[in-house]
Amino acid sequence: MISSATPDVFTRAAPSPFHFNSSSHLLRIERERADSLGELLDALRSCPDESIFQHTFQTLQEHHYIREGFSNDFAHWAYTECNEAGLAERLAAIDVRTFTSLASLREQIIRIVEDYLKWNPLSRDRAALEPFYFCASESVVIPTPFKAQNLREFIEALKRVSIHSIHHHFIEARLRLKLASNDFSAWLEKELGLRQAAASLNRIDIYTLTLEDVRNQLIRMLSSARA
Amino acid sequence: MSETQNSGNISSVAETASPSAEHNGVGGSSTISVEPEPATAVPKRERRKQPRISDTPPMAPPPPRLDDYEPIIGKPELDELRFLATVLKGKSVKMVNSTAVGGGVAEMLNRLVPLMAELDVTTHWDVITGGNDFFEITKAFHNALHGGSYELSRQAQEAFLATNEQNRQRMAFEEDVIVIHDPQPAALVSSKKDHPGKWVWRCHIDLSNPNPGVWGFLRPMIDQYDAAIFSSPKFARQLAIPQYLFYPCIDPLSEKNKELDESYIQKVCDDFGVDRSRPIVTQISRFDRLKDPVGVVQAYKMARNYVDCQLVLAGGGASDDPEGAVVLKEVQEAAGDDPDIILLELPPWSALEINALQRASTLIVQKSLKEGFGLTVTEALWKSKPTIAGAVGGIPTQVIHKLTGVLVHSVEGCAYQIRYLLTHPEFAKQLGKNGHEHVKENLLMTTNVRRWVLLFRILLGLA
Repeated sequence: MISSATPDVFTRAAPSPFHFNSSSHLLRIERERADSLGELLDALRSCPDESIFQHTFQTLQEHHYIREGFSNDFAHWAYTECNEAGLAERLAAIDVRTFTSLASLREQIIRIVEDYLKWNPLSRDRAALEPFYFCASESVVIPTPFKAQNLREFIEALKRVSIHSIHHHFIEARLRLKLASNDFSAWLEKELGLRQAAASLNRIDIYTLTLEDVRNQLIRMLSSARA
Repeated sequence: MSETQNSGNISSVAETASPSAEHNGVGGSSTISVEPEPATAVPKRERRKQPRISDTPPMAPPPPRLDDYEPIIGKPELDELRFLATVLKGKSVKMVNSTAVGGGVAEMLNRLVPLMAELDVTTHWDVITGGNDFFEITKAFHNALHGGSYELSRQAQEAFLATNEQNRQRMAFEEDVIVIHDPQPAALVSSKKDHPGKWVWRCHIDLSNPNPGVWGFLRPMIDQYDAAIFSSPKFARQLAIPQYLFYPCIDPLSEKNKELDESYIQKVCDDFGVDRSRPIVTQISRFDRLKDPVGVVQAYKMARNYVDCQLVLAGGGASDDPEGAVVLKEVQEAAGDDPDIILLELPPWSALEINALQRASTLIVQKSLKEGFGLTVTEALWKSKPTIAGAVGGIPTQVIHKLTGVLVHSVEGCAYQIRYLLTHPEFAKQLGKNGHEHVKENLLMTTNVRRWVLLFRILLGLA
């Protein structure tokens, strides 16, 4: 429910409107595959950036309805196919939102696997139950009819856009912005001066919520925004 | 539910064992096989009535329109799909496969072609023709590509190429994108040099372990395409051309998957003697050893030591397949005189009845030992059913262990999961809910339409 006590916050016009976009992804099967953790490490070094994106950012969207136990494909594979719970936990702790480039995300994944194999050398060549097949995401950005000139319109649009649009602006955005932020926060701060609200959105935990939960939390937080 | 779709001549019901003492008046597990003959000599039973399944396939309902999917996937999703397709307006596509009716590919094309037309992407669908010798060869190819042994003769190669050439001569390839489905028409790609369109090979079969002779024969043809599509990364081969991943999909508005009236579900259960006041564990599958129906009976019997439930095994394949009949007999023997094991041999046009049985079930099992993608799992997940499935083929793509269902590797594991899920209904309910969302996001017909549109945009440089 939008507070009626501070209507100016909700109706004040932004100099530039927020245009909601969305993105659509097609999966390409890559040449790399791994039958062991050692092979995974090799493939992580050579696979295209789009594979890193697919198995971290994009898989989060494909499994957006799960609240627990799923964070990225590498962690899932380490746990279910390699039975390496320690490695899986460390990989699962990666929060894609702390990375503003796929190169730095790749480095972090490689570092975790290297470190684990240094202390667990017997795990390097142990055959996995099922191979890890590398895929890559080919993306197309789609404009949607939704745009917002003020906070009230922004909240209304948030209620109506697809969850793909939420993922596009709230999670994928940092790769475009090269900032530890998201499109929503950037617009709220720059165009409406809502610095506190903008910062608070970045604290939403995307790993323990579904994307619908994220949508609801965004709406709830912005509905109680103060100038 | 619609009487007209299921009435008609009442089929005969042959029960090879007596129905339940507890629930049907007489002891013993039972098999109901529905055959296309009028019922005459079947004794009337108190609980188990004669299934009212038509002896001929019912008329197919008209295909859904895009708007019909809005209540399922939401308006924003549908709008995005329409927007994605706008740049393809005026473009044309040709789909070529080897059969107009029967089989998953024809079923998918029957839905896809009108939906693409609604998006203003003109889509032509051509079917190749050939003699019995050609289709015998392509059936042998199919089995060989799945890993079966086969001696590829010069004669078979020539017959395959000759039939493809005859079809190539009578077909025009003027569309912007030509999609060839499966190996049968693969050699049509020799027309590529005369036409500027993009050529795509959509492989619906598992090529993970192909017969080297047959694959060696087909490979040079496949390399001429601009792209290939597989149903799973594990089904793909190393190719020089880009390969894309299209999961198989289900249509939520088909007879097999659409919402049903509660009264119809109840009627089907009454007809088949399924007691809805007690837990129902169901496997829908052909009577085929690779679906391990005997293993399911064993798992059920182990679980029954701890929990009360009934087992429904429903499927076809026993009347038109000698091996299916043998497997059904093995299942009957394994079932013994248990009145709570209900074996149903259904004709291929029993989609509504299968839908009702799935919806009536407490748990769905798909304990396959080998599997393609496993669309019966997709159907179960779509109906929000807690699902226990063998960790084979494409099933782990759908069933993420303990998140969207549970994976099992043995009879014992299956028995344990039946016990666990029947005694932990909240956890089971969450699995079902996640499974439904997983299908909605990744495995519906509308998702595949989106994939096709994206692929056409990428191939035509419109991404």
